[in-house]
Amino acid sequence: MVWLTIFGMACITYINRFVFLANGIKYKPGDRLKRFLSFSSLAVLTAIWAPIVFVADERLPIAIAGWDYLIATVVAIALSLARFHSLLVVLLSAGLFFTVRLYL
Amino acid sequence: MKPYDLSLYSKAVVAILPLSIAIIPWGVLTGALAMQAGLSLVQAQCLSLLVFAGAAQLSGISMMATGVPLVSIYGSTAVISARHLLYSIVFRSHVEQLSLPKRLAVAFVLTDEMFAVSEAHTKRTGAFSLPFALVSGFTFYLVWNLSTLMGILIGNRFGNLESLGLDFAIVATFVAMTFDQLKRVPEVVAVIVSGLSAVLLKPYLSESYIILATLIGMSTGYALSVVGPDKKHHETKVEPEINSEEM
Repeated sequence: MVWLTIFGMACITYINRFVFLANGIKYKPGDRLKRFLSFSSLAVLTAIWAPIVFVADERLPIAIAGWDYLIATVVAIALSLARFHSLLVVLLSAGLFFTVRLYL
Repeated sequence: MKPYDLSLYSKAVVAILPLSIAIIPWGVLTGALAMQAGLSLVQAQCLSLLVFAGAAQLSGISMMATGVPLVSIYGSTAVISARHLLYSIVFRSHVEQLSLPKRLAVAFVLTDEMFAVSEAHTKRTGAFSLPFALVSGFTFYLVWNLSTLMGILIGNRFGNLESLGLDFAIVATFVAMTFDQLKRVPEVVAVIVSGLSAVLLKPYLSESYIILATLIGMSTGYALSVVGPDKKHHETKVEPEINSEEM
């Protein structure tokens, strides 16, 4: 049962990755679709990280996961906008995150 | 042309390095949770070897642990992995002339991370590079699987990783990958709308909120790029310009 689950999940994920790379599909994405897709990376990565830092709440519409998360995220955004190398952004903001976490 | 372009390969490894480091805690968490859910060592490792998708694996593991029916597990996997369809569509124009084995290989390592890094390289150099995609992809695959193995071996000694705040590594990494690309209003709006949608949808649609928020953000960004004041100057690029991912 577990193996059936594993292989099934593997097939589904692989199909999602491969289907448009297969030769049989006679489909050429046009300029408008490509422009639409140009936003995919920005949108999907944000959709993944945002709910880690911001949490929907009943009283206020949006709460934060913690001041450590918020401060470190703001710093990460600032460093990234300032064009620091991505590894530096990660190390500096994560370092700040754990430091704030220790003292708050 | 050199048969083995070591300088290109090392650029590919360096490009995916920040993401690979950030993914380590996630891999360890995935391995440890798989063991806690009752999978054997081989089964837990095979999840990472064969599925190679963190979000799908973590959801699948928790569903297996609570006895969710197989059909539901498959359905959730399909929805969670749906964004890979977008990557597949974008990559189509890069690889459609290549042989089947090469396309099969690229598809296997087509993750958020390899997609982002490869697209950045394609933008920077003006051409897609299959070796770059494969090297960065398989490097990430290796790190993911080694991390899973660590998690499997360490097992439940970590307790609740999220309480340690190691999920922040993903926040930092994805912020680093997106904010240096923001040059025009449609891109900024896409990010804000996508983030807001994800936060608001998550409590209600815990499996499909990622793909839904993504589509809402993309649609908003696209709509603004078509009707905005600078629409004449907005070239149709597959990805926005990226200038800081490479060394």
